[in-house]
Amino acid sequence: MKALRTLTAVLALGLCFVSAAFAAPKAITVASDATWPPMEFVDANKKIVGFDIDFMTAVAKEAGLQVTFKNTAWDGIFAGVEAGQYDAIISSVTITPERQAKYDFTNPYVQIGQILVVPKAEKGTKIADLKGKKIGAQIGTTGAMEVKKVAGVELKTYDEVGLAFEDMAAGRIAGVVCDEPTAITYALQKKEYSSKFKIVGKSFTKEAYGIVVKKGNKELVAQLNKGIAAVQKKKIDVQLKKKWQLK
Amino acid sequence: MSTEAKKQIIDVGDGAAIPRKSDRGLFTAWRIAFFGAIGTIAYLVWSRPDPYLNILKFVPDGIAVTFQVTLGAILLAIVIGLITGLGRISKNRFFNGVASLYVEVIRGIPLLVQIFYIYYALGTIVKVPAILSAIIAMAVCYGAYMGEVVRAGIESIAKGQREAALSLGMNGRQTMIHVILPQAVKVILPPVGNEFIALLKDSSLVSIIAVADLLRRGREYASESFTYFETYTVIALIYLIITLFFSKIIGVMEERVSVNK
Repeated sequence: MKALRTLTAVLALGLCFVSAAFAAPKAITVASDATWPPMEFVDANKKIVGFDIDFMTAVAKEAGLQVTFKNTAWDGIFAGVEAGQYDAIISSVTITPERQAKYDFTNPYVQIGQILVVPKAEKGTKIADLKGKKIGAQIGTTGAMEVKKVAGVELKTYDEVGLAFEDMAAGRIAGVVCDEPTAITYALQKKEYSSKFKIVGKSFTKEAYGIVVKKGNKELVAQLNKGIAAVQKKKIDVQLKKKWQLK
Repeated sequence: MSTEAKKQIIDVGDGAAIPRKSDRGLFTAWRIAFFGAIGTIAYLVWSRPDPYLNILKFVPDGIAVTFQVTLGAILLAIVIGLITGLGRISKNRFFNGVASLYVEVIRGIPLLVQIFYIYYALGTIVKVPAILSAIIAMAVCYGAYMGEVVRAGIESIAKGQREAALSLGMNGRQTMIHVILPQAVKVILPPVGNEFIALLKDSSLVSIIAVADLLRRGREYASESFTYFETYTVIALIYLIITLFFSKIIGVMEERVSVNK
Protein backbone atom coordinates (compact mmCIF):
# COMPACT_ATOMS: atom_id res chain seq x y z
CA MET A 1 0.00 0.00 0.00
CA LYS A 2 2.79 2.35 0.96
CA ALA A 3 4.62 1.52 -2.22
CA LEU A 4 1.52 2.33 -4.25
CA ARG A 5 1.16 5.66 -2.49
CA THR A 6 4.78 6.52 -3.23
CA LEU A 7 4.28 5.54 -6.83
CA THR A 8 1.21 7.75 -7.10
CA ALA A 9 3.09 10.63 -5.56
CA VAL A 10 6.01 10.19 -7.94
CA LEU A 11 3.67 9.96 -10.89
CA ALA A 12 1.77 13.08 -9.81
CA LEU A 13 5.01 14.96 -9.36
CA GLY A 14 6.21 13.80 -12.74
CA LEU A 15 2.97 14.88 -14.34
CA CYS A 16 3.42 18.31 -12.79
CA PHE A 17 6.86 18.66 -14.36
CA VAL A 18 5.64 17.48 -17.73
CA SER A 19 2.64 19.81 -17.76
CA ALA A 20 4.82 22.68 -16.59
CA ALA A 21 7.18 21.99 -19.47
CA PHE A 22 4.27 22.03 -21.88
CA ALA A 23 2.64 25.14 -20.45
CA ALA A 24 5.61 27.45 -20.73
CA PRO A 25 7.00 29.07 -22.66
CA LYS A 26 4.14 29.65 -25.05
CA ALA A 27 5.36 30.27 -28.59
CA ILE A 28 4.15 33.31 -30.51
CA THR A 29 4.93 34.63 -33.99
CA VAL A 30 5.45 38.36 -34.37
CA ALA A 31 5.39 40.19 -37.70
CA SER A 32 7.69 43.09 -38.51
CA ASP A 33 8.28 45.08 -41.70
CA ALA A 34 12.07 45.05 -41.59
CA THR A 35 12.58 48.14 -43.78
CA TRP A 36 12.52 50.76 -41.06
CA PRO A 37 15.96 51.26 -39.51
CA PRO A 38 16.92 51.52 -36.72
CA MET A 39 13.67 50.07 -35.36
CA GLU A 40 13.54 46.98 -37.55
CA PHE A 41 15.68 46.09 -40.54
CA VAL A 42 17.61 43.25 -42.11
CA ASP A 43 21.35 43.33 -41.36
CA ALA A 44 24.24 42.11 -43.52
CA ASN A 45 23.68 38.57 -42.21
CA LYS A 46 20.05 38.58 -43.40
CA LYS A 47 18.86 38.65 -39.80
CA ILE A 48 16.04 40.88 -38.63
CA VAL A 49 17.51 43.28 -36.07
CA GLY A 50 16.68 46.61 -34.52
CA PHE A 51 15.29 48.24 -31.41
CA ASP A 52 11.82 46.71 -31.80
CA ILE A 53 13.28 43.24 -32.25
CA ASP A 54 15.49 43.49 -29.15
CA PHE A 55 12.64 45.05 -27.20
CA MET A 56 10.16 42.35 -28.22
CA THR A 57 12.66 39.63 -27.33
CA ALA A 58 13.12 41.16 -23.88
CA VAL A 59 9.37 41.55 -23.36
CA ALA A 60 8.75 37.95 -24.40
CA LYS A 61 11.42 36.75 -21.99
CA GLU A 62 9.82 38.65 -19.11
CA ALA A 63 6.35 37.45 -20.07
CA GLY A 64 7.41 33.84 -20.45
CA LEU A 65 6.79 33.71 -24.19
CA GLN A 66 8.90 32.25 -26.94
CA VAL A 67 9.01 34.57 -29.92
CA THR A 68 9.70 34.01 -33.62
CA PHE A 69 9.86 36.97 -35.99
CA LYS A 70 8.32 37.05 -39.44
CA ASN A 71 9.43 39.67 -41.94
CA THR A 72 6.21 40.96 -43.50
CA ALA A 73 5.53 43.74 -46.01
CA TRP A 74 3.96 46.76 -44.33
CA ASP A 75 1.09 47.01 -46.81
CA GLY A 76 -1.22 44.30 -45.52
CA ILE A 77 0.59 43.68 -42.23
CA PHE A 78 -2.63 44.47 -40.31
CA ALA A 79 -4.69 42.11 -42.49
CA GLY A 80 -2.29 39.31 -41.52
CA VAL A 81 -2.81 39.70 -37.79
CA GLU A 82 -6.55 39.77 -38.37
CA ALA A 83 -6.35 36.58 -40.42
CA GLY A 84 -4.28 34.92 -37.69
CA GLN A 85 -1.13 34.48 -39.79
CA TYR A 86 0.82 35.73 -36.79
CA ASP A 87 -0.05 36.64 -33.22
CA ALA A 88 1.28 40.18 -32.98
CA ILE A 89 2.98 43.02 -34.87
CA ILE A 90 5.95 44.99 -33.59
CA SER A 91 6.84 47.32 -36.42
CA SER A 92 6.98 50.92 -35.21
CA VAL A 93 3.19 50.96 -35.18
CA THR A 94 1.83 54.26 -33.89
CA ILE A 95 -1.23 53.90 -31.71
CA THR A 96 -4.05 55.81 -33.45
CA PRO A 97 -7.79 55.85 -32.72
CA GLU A 98 -8.53 54.41 -36.21
CA ARG A 99 -6.20 51.50 -35.63
CA GLN A 100 -7.47 50.98 -32.08
CA ALA A 101 -10.97 50.59 -33.45
CA LYS A 102 -9.82 47.59 -35.49
CA TYR A 103 -7.00 46.05 -33.44
CA ASP A 104 -5.89 45.80 -29.85
CA PHE A 105 -2.72 47.52 -28.70
CA THR A 106 -0.42 47.00 -25.75
CA ASN A 107 0.62 49.94 -23.61
CA PRO A 108 2.90 52.37 -25.47
CA TYR A 109 6.61 51.57 -25.33
CA VAL A 110 8.35 54.38 -27.25
CA GLN A 111 7.46 58.03 -27.94
CA ILE A 112 8.43 59.45 -31.33
CA GLY A 113 7.26 62.03 -33.85
CA GLN A 114 7.06 62.63 -37.60
CA ILE A 115 9.76 64.72 -39.21
CA LEU A 116 10.46 66.15 -42.66
CA VAL A 117 13.56 65.29 -44.67
CA VAL A 118 14.42 67.40 -47.73
CA PRO A 119 17.29 67.82 -50.20
CA LYS A 120 20.09 70.09 -48.92
CA ALA A 121 19.13 72.93 -51.28
CA GLU A 122 15.52 73.13 -50.07
CA LYS A 123 14.66 76.29 -48.08
CA GLY A 124 11.27 75.19 -46.74
CA THR A 125 11.15 73.83 -43.22
CA LYS A 126 7.68 72.35 -42.97
CA ILE A 127 5.25 70.42 -45.17
CA ALA A 128 3.18 73.54 -45.91
CA ASP A 129 6.30 75.20 -47.38
CA LEU A 130 6.39 72.60 -50.13
CA LYS A 131 3.05 73.52 -51.69
CA GLY A 132 2.63 72.39 -55.29
CA LYS A 133 5.34 69.77 -54.84
CA LYS A 134 5.30 66.04 -54.19
CA ILE A 135 6.14 64.60 -50.80
CA GLY A 136 6.79 60.92 -50.29
CA ALA A 137 5.89 58.63 -47.41
CA GLN A 138 5.40 54.94 -46.83
CA ILE A 139 1.88 53.72 -47.66
CA GLY A 140 -0.49 53.57 -44.70
CA THR A 141 1.89 55.21 -42.22
CA THR A 142 1.15 58.14 -39.93
CA GLY A 143 3.69 60.08 -42.03
CA ALA A 144 1.51 59.62 -45.11
CA MET A 145 -1.54 60.71 -43.14
CA GLU A 146 0.25 63.90 -42.01
CA VAL A 147 1.15 64.82 -45.60
CA LYS A 148 -2.43 64.18 -46.70
CA LYS A 149 -3.69 66.68 -44.12
CA VAL A 150 -1.87 69.57 -45.78
CA ALA A 151 -3.77 71.01 -48.73
CA GLY A 152 -1.83 71.81 -51.90
CA VAL A 153 0.85 69.17 -51.36
CA GLU A 154 0.74 65.98 -53.38
CA LEU A 155 1.30 62.79 -51.41
CA LYS A 156 3.19 59.99 -53.10
CA THR A 157 3.06 56.67 -51.30
CA TYR A 158 5.77 54.03 -51.42
CA ASP A 159 5.88 50.39 -50.36
CA GLU A 160 9.08 51.04 -48.43
CA VAL A 161 10.40 54.29 -47.04
CA GLY A 162 13.80 53.53 -48.61
CA LEU A 163 12.23 53.78 -52.07
CA ALA A 164 10.94 57.24 -51.17
CA PHE A 165 14.44 58.38 -50.18
CA GLU A 166 15.84 56.91 -53.41
CA ASP A 167 13.21 58.82 -55.40
CA MET A 168 14.14 62.01 -53.58
CA ALA A 169 17.79 61.39 -54.47
CA ALA A 170 16.66 61.08 -58.11
CA GLY A 171 14.86 64.42 -57.81
CA ARG A 172 11.36 63.07 -58.32
CA ILE A 173 9.98 64.26 -54.98
CA ALA A 174 10.71 67.30 -52.83
CA GLY A 175 10.52 65.75 -49.38
CA VAL A 176 9.97 62.62 -47.31
CA VAL A 177 8.02 62.40 -44.06
CA CYS A 178 8.69 59.52 -41.68
CA ASP A 179 9.37 58.69 -38.03
CA GLU A 180 12.25 60.70 -36.59
CA PRO A 181 14.58 57.76 -35.76
CA THR A 182 14.25 56.43 -39.32
CA ALA A 183 14.76 59.91 -40.76
CA ILE A 184 17.96 60.22 -38.76
CA THR A 185 19.21 56.88 -40.06
CA TYR A 186 18.54 57.75 -43.69
CA ALA A 187 19.42 61.44 -43.74
CA LEU A 188 22.37 61.51 -41.38
CA GLN A 189 23.86 58.04 -41.14
CA LYS A 190 23.66 56.53 -44.63
CA LYS A 191 26.73 57.47 -46.63
CA GLU A 192 24.85 57.78 -49.93
CA TYR A 193 22.34 60.24 -48.52
CA SER A 194 24.06 62.23 -45.78
CA SER A 195 25.62 64.60 -48.33
CA LYS A 196 22.31 65.10 -50.16
CA PHE A 197 19.61 65.36 -47.51
CA LYS A 198 18.93 67.28 -44.33
CA ILE A 199 16.33 67.08 -41.59
CA VAL A 200 14.38 70.30 -41.17
CA GLY A 201 12.49 71.57 -38.17
CA LYS A 202 11.56 69.48 -35.16
CA SER A 203 9.31 66.46 -35.10
CA PHE A 204 5.77 67.83 -35.44
CA THR A 205 3.66 65.04 -34.00
CA LYS A 206 3.58 63.25 -30.67
CA GLU A 207 3.08 59.55 -31.24
CA ALA A 208 3.61 56.35 -29.30
CA TYR A 209 4.40 52.90 -30.60
CA GLY A 210 2.44 49.91 -29.37
CA ILE A 211 2.45 46.19 -30.10
CA VAL A 212 -0.58 45.14 -32.17
CA VAL A 213 -2.62 42.00 -31.55
CA LYS A 214 -5.89 40.73 -32.99
CA LYS A 215 -8.99 42.42 -31.62
CA GLY A 216 -10.26 40.56 -28.60
CA ASN A 217 -7.04 38.71 -27.74
CA LYS A 218 -7.04 40.14 -24.22
CA GLU A 219 -4.90 37.34 -22.83
CA LEU A 220 -1.95 38.12 -25.08
CA VAL A 221 -2.30 41.87 -24.49
CA ALA A 222 -2.18 41.27 -20.74
CA GLN A 223 0.87 39.02 -21.05
CA LEU A 224 2.71 41.51 -23.25
CA ASN A 225 1.80 44.43 -20.98
CA LYS A 226 3.21 42.48 -18.05
CA GLY A 227 6.39 41.93 -20.07
CA ILE A 228 6.62 45.60 -21.09
CA ALA A 229 6.19 46.70 -17.46
CA ALA A 230 8.96 44.35 -16.35
CA VAL A 231 11.30 45.52 -19.12
CA GLN A 232 10.67 49.15 -18.22
CA LYS A 233 11.15 48.46 -14.52
CA LYS A 234 14.50 46.82 -15.19
CA LYS A 235 15.42 49.75 -17.48
CA ILE A 236 16.22 47.34 -20.30
CA ASP A 237 14.44 49.71 -22.71
CA VAL A 238 16.79 52.53 -21.68
CA GLN A 239 19.80 50.36 -22.52
CA LEU A 240 18.25 49.39 -25.84
CA LYS A 241 17.58 53.02 -26.74
CA LYS A 242 21.24 53.74 -26.12
CA LYS A 243 22.27 50.71 -28.19
CA TRP A 244 20.16 51.79 -31.18
CA GLN A 245 20.86 55.51 -30.68
CA LEU A 246 17.32 56.64 -30.04
CA LYS A 247 16.77 59.92 -28.30
CA MET B 1 6.26 24.66 -91.44
CA SER B 2 2.99 25.50 -93.12
CA THR B 3 1.38 28.94 -92.89
CA GLU B 4 -1.57 27.46 -91.06
CA ALA B 5 0.56 26.10 -88.22
CA LYS B 6 2.30 29.45 -87.74
CA LYS B 7 -0.98 31.24 -87.43
CA GLN B 8 -2.03 28.92 -84.67
CA ILE B 9 1.15 29.46 -82.75
CA ILE B 10 0.85 33.24 -82.59
CA ASP B 11 -2.84 33.10 -81.75
CA VAL B 12 -2.06 32.02 -78.20
CA GLY B 13 -1.68 34.75 -75.61
CA ASP B 14 -2.03 35.31 -71.91
CA GLY B 15 -4.61 38.05 -72.35
CA ALA B 16 -8.32 37.65 -71.76
CA ALA B 17 -10.04 35.42 -74.31
CA ILE B 18 -11.41 37.49 -77.17
CA PRO B 19 -14.95 36.46 -78.02
CA ARG B 20 -15.73 35.74 -81.65
CA LYS B 21 -19.22 35.41 -83.01
CA SER B 22 -18.54 31.81 -83.98
CA ASP B 23 -17.53 30.90 -80.42
CA ARG B 24 -20.88 30.66 -78.66
CA GLY B 25 -19.65 29.24 -75.38
CA LEU B 26 -17.09 31.98 -74.84
CA PHE B 27 -19.56 34.63 -75.92
CA THR B 28 -22.02 33.64 -73.23
CA ALA B 29 -19.23 33.40 -70.65
CA TRP B 30 -18.22 36.93 -71.62
CA ARG B 31 -21.73 38.23 -71.03
CA ILE B 32 -22.08 36.49 -67.69
CA ALA B 33 -18.70 37.76 -66.50
CA PHE B 34 -19.14 41.31 -67.78
CA PHE B 35 -22.66 41.97 -66.60
CA GLY B 36 -22.09 39.85 -63.50
CA ALA B 37 -19.14 42.06 -62.50
CA ILE B 38 -21.09 45.27 -63.09
CA GLY B 39 -24.07 43.85 -61.23
CA THR B 40 -21.91 42.75 -58.29
CA ILE B 41 -20.36 46.20 -57.91
CA ALA B 42 -23.79 47.86 -58.16
CA TYR B 43 -25.20 45.49 -55.54
CA LEU B 44 -22.26 45.99 -53.15
CA VAL B 45 -22.50 49.78 -53.43
CA TRP B 46 -26.24 49.68 -52.91
CA SER B 47 -26.18 47.30 -49.95
CA ARG B 48 -23.10 48.67 -48.17
CA PRO B 49 -22.19 52.22 -49.28
CA ASP B 50 -19.58 52.21 -46.54
CA PRO B 51 -17.01 51.03 -47.56
CA TYR B 52 -17.91 50.13 -51.16
CA LEU B 53 -19.11 53.53 -52.37
CA ASN B 54 -16.16 55.19 -50.63
CA ILE B 55 -13.76 52.83 -52.40
CA LEU B 56 -15.40 53.58 -55.76
CA LYS B 57 -15.09 57.30 -55.10
CA PHE B 58 -11.43 56.96 -54.16
CA VAL B 59 -10.09 55.11 -57.22
CA PRO B 60 -11.22 56.92 -60.44
CA ASP B 61 -8.01 58.93 -60.89
CA GLY B 62 -6.20 55.61 -60.50
CA ILE B 63 -8.22 54.18 -63.39
CA ALA B 64 -7.21 57.20 -65.49
CA VAL B 65 -3.55 56.55 -64.70
CA THR B 66 -3.93 52.86 -65.54
CA PHE B 67 -5.34 53.84 -68.96
CA GLN B 68 -2.62 56.41 -69.47
CA VAL B 69 0.12 53.88 -68.75
CA THR B 70 -1.52 51.15 -70.85
CA LEU B 71 -2.24 53.30 -73.91
CA GLY B 72 1.12 55.05 -73.79
CA ALA B 73 2.94 51.76 -73.40
CA ILE B 74 1.05 49.89 -76.12
CA LEU B 75 1.61 52.66 -78.70
CA LEU B 76 5.29 52.84 -77.90
CA ALA B 77 5.51 49.03 -77.81
CA ILE B 78 3.93 48.76 -81.29
CA VAL B 79 6.57 51.15 -82.69
CA ILE B 80 9.37 49.28 -80.93
CA GLY B 81 7.82 45.97 -81.97
CA LEU B 82 7.61 46.94 -85.62
CA ILE B 83 11.25 47.99 -85.70
CA THR B 84 12.31 44.91 -83.75
CA GLY B 85 10.24 42.57 -85.93
CA LEU B 86 11.74 44.01 -89.10
CA GLY B 87 15.15 43.73 -87.48
CA ARG B 88 14.60 40.09 -86.63
CA ILE B 89 13.94 39.18 -90.29
CA SER B 90 16.49 41.64 -91.70
CA LYS B 91 19.45 40.33 -93.68
CA ASN B 92 21.50 43.20 -92.31
CA ARG B 93 23.60 41.41 -89.72
CA PHE B 94 24.00 44.35 -87.36
CA PHE B 95 20.32 45.33 -87.36
CA ASN B 96 19.32 41.69 -86.95
CA GLY B 97 21.85 41.15 -84.18
CA VAL B 98 20.72 44.17 -82.16
CA ALA B 99 17.04 43.25 -82.50
CA SER B 100 17.66 39.62 -81.54
CA LEU B 101 19.80 40.59 -78.57
CA TYR B 102 17.12 42.98 -77.36
CA VAL B 103 14.44 40.29 -77.58
CA GLU B 104 16.59 37.72 -75.80
CA VAL B 105 17.59 40.03 -72.97
CA ILE B 106 14.12 41.42 -72.33
CA ARG B 107 12.38 38.08 -72.50
CA GLY B 108 14.80 36.72 -69.94
CA ILE B 109 14.06 39.33 -67.28
CA PRO B 110 10.84 39.42 -65.26
CA LEU B 111 8.72 42.49 -65.93
CA LEU B 112 8.72 43.50 -62.28
CA VAL B 113 12.52 43.55 -62.22
CA GLN B 114 12.58 45.54 -65.46
CA ILE B 115 10.22 48.13 -64.03
CA PHE B 116 12.38 48.59 -60.94
CA TYR B 117 15.53 48.63 -63.03
CA ILE B 118 14.37 51.15 -65.63
CA TYR B 119 12.77 53.36 -62.99
CA TYR B 120 15.84 53.64 -60.80
CA ALA B 121 18.37 53.46 -63.64
CA LEU B 122 16.62 56.29 -65.49
CA GLY B 123 16.46 58.19 -62.20
CA THR B 124 20.24 58.28 -61.91
CA ILE B 125 20.69 59.59 -65.47
CA VAL B 126 17.79 61.90 -66.22
CA LYS B 127 14.86 63.33 -64.34
CA VAL B 128 11.83 61.57 -65.76
CA PRO B 129 8.39 61.71 -64.18
CA ALA B 130 7.37 58.44 -62.56
CA ILE B 131 4.54 57.83 -64.99
CA LEU B 132 6.78 58.27 -68.02
CA SER B 133 9.32 55.84 -66.55
CA ALA B 134 6.49 53.38 -66.06
CA ILE B 135 5.36 53.77 -69.67
CA ILE B 136 8.92 53.34 -70.95
CA ALA B 137 9.49 50.26 -68.79
CA MET B 138 6.27 48.60 -69.94
CA ALA B 139 6.92 49.51 -73.59
CA VAL B 140 10.49 48.22 -73.55
CA CYS B 141 9.25 44.91 -72.21
CA TYR B 142 6.22 44.53 -74.42
CA GLY B 143 8.15 45.81 -77.47
CA ALA B 144 10.18 42.60 -77.37
CA TYR B 145 7.09 40.40 -77.36
CA MET B 146 5.50 42.60 -79.99
CA GLY B 147 8.64 42.21 -82.11
CA GLU B 148 8.13 38.46 -82.11
CA VAL B 149 4.49 38.88 -83.06
CA VAL B 150 5.45 41.15 -85.97
CA ARG B 151 8.16 38.75 -87.10
CA ALA B 152 5.81 35.77 -87.00
CA GLY B 153 3.13 37.78 -88.80
CA ILE B 154 5.46 38.78 -91.62
CA GLU B 155 6.83 35.27 -91.93
CA SER B 156 3.30 33.91 -92.19
CA ILE B 157 2.75 35.70 -95.50
CA ALA B 158 3.31 33.27 -98.36
CA LYS B 159 6.66 33.60 -100.09
CA GLY B 160 4.90 33.91 -103.46
CA GLN B 161 3.56 37.31 -102.46
CA ARG B 162 7.02 38.70 -102.06
CA GLU B 163 8.29 37.03 -105.20
CA ALA B 164 5.33 38.35 -107.21
CA ALA B 165 5.85 41.89 -105.92
CA LEU B 166 9.56 41.78 -106.70
CA SER B 167 8.88 40.43 -110.18
CA LEU B 168 6.50 43.37 -110.75
CA GLY B 169 9.49 45.61 -110.29
CA MET B 170 8.92 46.73 -106.69
CA ASN B 171 12.00 47.08 -104.53
CA GLY B 172 12.38 45.43 -101.13
CA ARG B 173 11.01 48.37 -99.18
CA GLN B 174 8.00 48.86 -101.45
CA THR B 175 7.24 45.15 -101.21
CA MET B 176 7.30 45.33 -97.43
CA ILE B 177 5.17 48.46 -97.13
CA HIS B 178 2.62 47.85 -99.90
CA VAL B 179 2.36 44.06 -100.07
CA ILE B 180 3.62 42.22 -97.00
CA LEU B 181 2.73 44.51 -94.06
CA PRO B 182 -0.92 45.19 -95.06
CA GLN B 183 -1.51 41.45 -95.16
CA ALA B 184 0.53 40.80 -92.05
CA VAL B 185 -1.54 43.31 -90.08
CA LYS B 186 -4.57 41.02 -90.29
CA VAL B 187 -2.54 38.14 -88.88
CA ILE B 188 -0.89 40.34 -86.27
CA LEU B 189 -4.00 42.07 -84.98
CA PRO B 190 -5.38 39.27 -82.76
CA PRO B 191 -2.10 38.68 -80.90
CA VAL B 192 -1.59 42.46 -80.60
CA GLY B 193 -5.04 42.63 -79.04
CA ASN B 194 -3.99 39.91 -76.63
CA GLU B 195 -0.80 41.80 -75.82
CA PHE B 196 -2.83 44.92 -75.16
CA ILE B 197 -5.00 43.16 -72.62
CA ALA B 198 -2.04 41.43 -71.02
CA LEU B 199 -0.36 44.84 -70.79
CA LEU B 200 -3.44 46.36 -69.22
CA LYS B 201 -3.31 43.72 -66.51
CA ASP B 202 0.46 43.93 -66.09
CA SER B 203 0.19 47.70 -65.71
CA SER B 204 -0.84 46.96 -62.12
CA LEU B 205 2.85 46.18 -61.53
CA VAL B 206 3.74 49.86 -61.86
CA SER B 207 2.05 50.49 -58.51
CA ILE B 208 5.31 49.20 -57.06
CA ILE B 209 7.17 52.33 -58.23
CA ALA B 210 4.63 54.60 -56.57
CA VAL B 211 2.70 55.39 -59.74
CA ALA B 212 -0.81 56.10 -58.49
CA ASP B 213 -2.64 53.60 -60.72
CA LEU B 214 -5.81 51.71 -59.93
CA LEU B 215 -4.12 49.10 -57.76
CA ARG B 216 -2.05 51.70 -55.87
CA ARG B 217 -5.14 53.79 -55.12
CA GLY B 218 -6.85 50.67 -53.83
CA ARG B 219 -3.87 49.81 -51.65
CA GLU B 220 -3.79 53.34 -50.28
CA TYR B 221 -7.45 53.12 -49.40
CA ALA B 222 -7.09 49.71 -47.79
CA SER B 223 -3.99 50.69 -45.83
CA GLU B 224 -5.83 53.45 -44.00
CA SER B 225 -9.30 51.96 -43.68
CA PHE B 226 -8.10 48.36 -43.10
CA THR B 227 -10.85 47.10 -45.42
CA TYR B 228 -8.49 44.91 -47.41
CA PHE B 229 -10.99 42.28 -48.51
CA GLU B 230 -13.61 44.79 -49.60
CA THR B 231 -11.12 47.01 -51.42
CA TYR B 232 -9.46 44.23 -53.39
CA THR B 233 -12.88 42.84 -54.32
CA VAL B 234 -13.73 46.17 -55.95
CA ILE B 235 -10.30 46.50 -57.58
CA ALA B 236 -10.52 43.00 -59.06
CA LEU B 237 -14.02 43.65 -60.41
CA ILE B 238 -12.97 46.96 -61.98
CA TYR B 239 -10.01 45.30 -63.72
CA LEU B 240 -12.32 42.53 -64.91
CA ILE B 241 -14.83 44.98 -66.36
CA ILE B 242 -12.10 46.96 -68.13
CA THR B 243 -10.39 43.91 -69.65
CA LEU B 244 -13.66 42.34 -70.74
CA PHE B 245 -14.76 45.63 -72.29
CA PHE B 246 -11.56 45.90 -74.31
CA SER B 247 -11.56 42.26 -75.31
CA LYS B 248 -14.99 42.87 -76.80
CA ILE B 249 -13.81 45.93 -78.70
CA ILE B 250 -10.81 44.05 -80.02
CA GLY B 251 -13.08 41.18 -81.05
CA VAL B 252 -15.25 43.57 -83.06
CA MET B 253 -12.20 45.20 -84.63
CA GLU B 254 -10.88 41.83 -85.64
CA GLU B 255 -14.14 40.87 -87.31
CA ARG B 256 -14.13 44.12 -89.28
CA VAL B 257 -10.64 43.40 -90.55
CA SER B 258 -11.41 39.81 -91.45
CA VAL B 259 -14.61 40.81 -93.33
CA ASN B 260 -12.73 42.67 -96.08
CA LYS B 261 -10.31 39.79 -96.58
